[in-house]
Amino acid sequence: MKNYLKLVNFEFNRLAKLFAVLLGITFLAQIGGVIVLSKKYLNVANERIYEDMIPKAQFIAEFGQMNFLQVARSAFFMGPIALCIAGVAFYIFLIWYRDWFGKNTFIYRLLMLPTTRLNIFYAKLTNILLLTFGFVAFQIIFLPIETTVFKWMMPSEFRNDMNVIEILQSMPELSIIFPNSFLEFILYYGAGLMVVSVLFTAILLERSFKWKGIFAGIIYSLVAVAVLISPVLLHEFVLNGFFYPIELFLLEIVMGLIIIAGSIWMSAFLLKKKITV
Amino acid sequence: MNVNFNTRDPVYLQIIRYFKEQIANGELAPGEEIPSRRELANRLKINPNTAQRAYKEMEEQNLIHTERNHPSKITTDEKVLGKVREELLVEAVDTFVTSVRSINIPVEELLNLVRTKYTKSDNKED
Amino acid sequence: MIEVKEISKNYGRKKILKGVSFTANKGEITCLIGINGVGKTTILNAIMALTPINQGQILMNGEPINEQSFEKITFIPDAITMLPSMKIEDALGFMNDFYACWNQERATELLAFFKLNKEERISSLSKGNTAKVNLLLGLALDVDYVLMDEPFSGIDIFSREEIANVFTSHLIENRGVIITTHEISDIEHLIDKVVLLDDGKVTKEFNAEEAREDEGKSVVDVMREVYRR
Repeated sequence: MKNYLKLVNFEFNRLAKLFAVLLGITFLAQIGGVIVLSKKYLNVANERIYEDMIPKAQFIAEFGQMNFLQVARSAFFMGPIALCIAGVAFYIFLIWYRDWFGKNTFIYRLLMLPTTRLNIFYAKLTNILLLTFGFVAFQIIFLPIETTVFKWMMPSEFRNDMNVIEILQSMPELSIIFPNSFLEFILYYGAGLMVVSVLFTAILLERSFKWKGIFAGIIYSLVAVAVLISPVLLHEFVLNGFFYPIELFLLEIVMGLIIIAGSIWMSAFLLKKKITV
Repeated sequence: MNVNFNTRDPVYLQIIRYFKEQIANGELAPGEEIPSRRELANRLKINPNTAQRAYKEMEEQNLIHTERNHPSKITTDEKVLGKVREELLVEAVDTFVTSVRSINIPVEELLNLVRTKYTKSDNKED
Repeated sequence: MIEVKEISKNYGRKKILKGVSFTANKGEITCLIGINGVGKTTILNAIMALTPINQGQILMNGEPINEQSFEKITFIPDAITMLPSMKIEDALGFMNDFYACWNQERATELLAFFKLNKEERISSLSKGNTAKVNLLLGLALDVDYVLMDEPFSGIDIFSREEIANVFTSHLIENRGVIITTHEISDIEHLIDKVVLLDDGKVTKEFNAEEAREDEGKSVVDVMREVYRR
C-alpha cells in the first residue's frame, strides 16, 4: 500500500507538467472565448444601436440577450475540453510507453522494485483517473470565474445570467463529463475505468508479445466488448426481452466488474510472467 | 607498489613472489606491517579473494604473521628470512644456468665473465 | 548462490539460449563472456524476471526469484535506469523511498568516490558519469548479489579505471557479482570465475586462478582453445 501511494505520487509528478499546460490552455482559451464573444456581441449591438439607430429594447428583442451558453457552445470552450480528453487518451498510452523508450530505460527500475508489479499498474491507472478528475474539478472551478468575467464584460441589460449548475444542465453533451447525479458519476467513471483497464491490458499484451501482442490486444478488447454487450444481445435476440430494464442494468454492471477484474488479473499475470524490457 | 602481472601464472603466486623480492632486497623490513588484504587487492587491482589466498599461503610459509584483529606483519624469524633470500638467489641462478648452458662455455670462463660484469654493473649503479 | 539451470529462450523462431546452466557464488566475481549477441544480457534480464524464459529455472539461495528478492539481488543494466529529468539526488531519493536495503551512507561515499555532483541532472551527465551514477544506484543497495551488464563498455579509460577500482574495494566485498563482457583483458585479474558462452550454450565454466595454476593458461588462452573449436 505504501509503495502504491509512493508510485502514485511519483507518476503524478511526471505528468504534472502536461497537466498544468493543458489546464493553462483551457483557462486561457475559455477566458479568451468569453472576452472575444462578448466583444463581438457588443460590437454588433453598438453598430445597430449607435449607427443604425435601432432602440436598445428593439435590438435585444431582435437579437436576444447573450448568455454564457453561447460561449460554452463555442470552440473556445469546447476546443480545450476536447484537447484535454485527447490528452487523457494519449496519456493512457504514453504513461506506459515512455518507460520503455529513450536511452534511459526506466522500466528496468520499475520492474525491479521490491514491490508487487501490480502496484505499477494500479498507480498508472490511478493517475489516469487523477488526471481526468483534475480536469473536471478545475473546469468546475473555472466556470464561476468565467461567468464573473462575462458579467464584467457585458452590461446587465444585454445578458441573461446563469449559474454553473444551470449551465451544465443546459448542456447534455457535457453530462458524461459532469454527471448530474452520483449514480451517473459512478456509472460513467466506472465505465471509463473499465475502458482504461482494458486498454492497459492491451498495451501490456503488446509489450509482452510485440507484434503478436498487438493482435492479442485487439482480440482482448473485442472479447471485452462482447462480454459487455452479451446481456443485451441475449436479451434482444435469444431471450426475447426476458429481463426487466433494472435487471439488464444490473447485469451490465456485473459484466463491467468482470471485465475490470479480468483485466487486472490478466495484467498481473503479464507483468509477473510475460513482460519483457 | 606496482606489479606487472603476467596472465599465465597464478596471481597469488605472483603476489608471494613480489613480497619475497621486497623482503630480500630490504624494502620490507622484518616485523614491518603490510597492507590488509583489501588494501592490497585495491592497490594491485586484483581480486580480493586472490589477495586472501596469497596471504594465507604466506602465513603457511611463515613469511607473515597475523594476530587476531591486527594487521599482518613480516616475520622476524631469521631462518625464514634467510631462506627467502636463498630461494630467490637459487632460482635466479638456476634460470641463468639453464640459459647459459646452451652456449656450452667452460665454467671458469663463465665465472670470470660473471665477476667482471657483476662488479661493473655494481660500479655503474654507484 | 545463484543457480541458472538449463534455461532456454527463443525470440520468435530464433533460439537465443539453448539450455544455459551455471552457478555464481556469493563472495565471487563471475564473468559471462561471449561475443555480442550471444545472449549475455538476456541471461541477466532473465535472472531478474525482466524477460520470460521458455524453459529452465533460476534460483537464488534455492528459491525462485520474485519481487521480494529485489532486496537481495540487483541489476545494473548498460543504460541508466532513472529519468533524464531527475537530478542525481532525486534518483537517490527514489531509491531510498522504495528499497529497504538502500544504504544512504554508502551512496554518499560513492558520490565522493566517483566525484559526482548530486545537483547535476542525469540528462546533462557525460557518458562516463552516467555509467558511474548507474553503478552507484546498484552498489548503494545492501544486496547479496549484483548483476552488471558490460560495466566497462563505451566509456573513457579514466572512468573505466575508476569503475575497476570498485571491484577491488570494500564496495564489492562479500557480495556475489555477475558481470558480462566481451572484452576480458581489462579485468582478467579481477574475476574469480569465467563462464564462456557460445551459440546459446555454456562452452566452459572455470575458475581463472585454477586455470593459471593447474594448466598455466591465462583466461584468454582458454578462450582461444574453446572458441577455435
